[in-house]
Amino acid sequence: MEVFFNSLSLILSFDKNLYEIIFLSLKVSLVALFISTIIGLPIAGILASKSFLGKKVVLIFFNSMMALPPVFVGLVLYILFSQSGFFGFMNILYTPMIMIIAQVIIILPIIISVSAELLENIFQEYKELFDTFNVGTLRRVKTTLFDARFSLITCILTGLGRALSEVGAIIIVGGNIVHYTRVMTTTIALETSRGNLSLAIALGIILIFISIMLNYIVISIKNISKHYSYD
Amino acid sequence: MIKKISLKNINFGFNQKFFFKNLSINFGTKGISVIIGPNGSGKSLITKLLKGIIFPHSGEIQLSSEKATPKISYLSQKITFLRRDVHSNLAYPLVIRDYQNEQIKLKVSEVLKNFNFLDKVNFSARSLSKGNKQFLAFIRSQIIQYDILVLDEPCSNLDFESIKIIEKYLLNLKKEKKIIMVTHDMFQAMRLADEIIIINNGELIEASKKKDILKSKNSFTQNFFTKHVF
Repeated sequence: MEVFFNSLSLILSFDKNLYEIIFLSLKVSLVALFISTIIGLPIAGILASKSFLGKKVVLIFFNSMMALPPVFVGLVLYILFSQSGFFGFMNILYTPMIMIIAQVIIILPIIISVSAELLENIFQEYKELFDTFNVGTLRRVKTTLFDARFSLITCILTGLGRALSEVGAIIIVGGNIVHYTRVMTTTIALETSRGNLSLAIALGIILIFISIMLNYIVISIKNISKHYSYD
Repeated sequence: MIKKISLKNINFGFNQKFFFKNLSINFGTKGISVIIGPNGSGKSLITKLLKGIIFPHSGEIQLSSEKATPKISYLSQKITFLRRDVHSNLAYPLVIRDYQNEQIKLKVSEVLKNFNFLDKVNFSARSLSKGNKQFLAFIRSQIIQYDILVLDEPCSNLDFESIKIIEKYLLNLKKEKKIIMVTHDMFQAMRLADEIIIINNGELIEASKKKDILKSKNSFTQNFFTKHVF
């Protein structure tokens, strides 16, 4: 019980170390989410709207990548970006930059696969309408993305949830360096092993709070979309 | 002025099996041509071929007018609306043709007013009743400029009043535009058609002026009309 109260006191006293970790976590995950969305949605749009040789293989690839073990992603990035690795010259190992790259690799397939399936359903429904009005490819993708916007936000938030809860990859590539690459999940892992449960539980509470907030946003978006998606 | 609308030696099918084998139809260049035939006879496929939604494996679709290639406005049997309100659904064909916002507003209000549908301008198009959706789809087919209007069962879910409005509109429109339509309603065909085209199992049975069709000697035509009209 004492540990729990200590955790609450850390949260309520706006402990500088605690909030530094929270903000870095949010920064890394949100930047990774932004990059994944920018790259992922157009790819999903093209996969949904175009038929081409090997499309099934590409879809199977991204679907399989959704189950990629984060520890393996971390290991591969470590090998590639370590001093003797192919990208060693970039010197970004143990920096927030490589943590973002790791998270992009983990959440990009989720955004592409889930969005592509969603967009393909809408695209197939709209196909004859597009043909009727001779709509160009780019406009087809834009229209489908716009009409799927509320459902896509749910996909994107799923990606954010995955990014925030990720630990395996970023602990390997980030190194869990205090005041630099230490984020919520890696801190929980470290502090638990050191027996400092107050900080670990405080961060756990924050993670659960963020998870509840994300779910609340998803449910709110679904309710709003009932009014504004005209579906 | 339309000079030619015809399908010439069309071969088309699914799964390497031809449904249309050397199908040729010459449509009249004026008035209303009504395509009739039993379910699955290929009526909708003909409208899709004309619009260019599907393409024949071989053969030619010949469309020509005094100006350039005539523009077709097409109303599909399968009605789809964007997840938007009535205004945005009607505006969409104009938006993709780069109309200015003011022009779009004006055109949409004008067409909605003409069909007495202005009160539903802010409704979600997808939440309308089946009949209203069908009516809205017809209105949408009138929003763009065209030379030939191709309609696939435009009145299938409509009430008597709405059918009357559309038929009156088409009878007036045929003075300026060529209309090709599919219907299952023989009485409607007789009310609207200048030319009747009978299709069965992917084959052209007969294409005649309305006044000649009832005197037809073709046994399929006679049976078809006996079953559906008398």
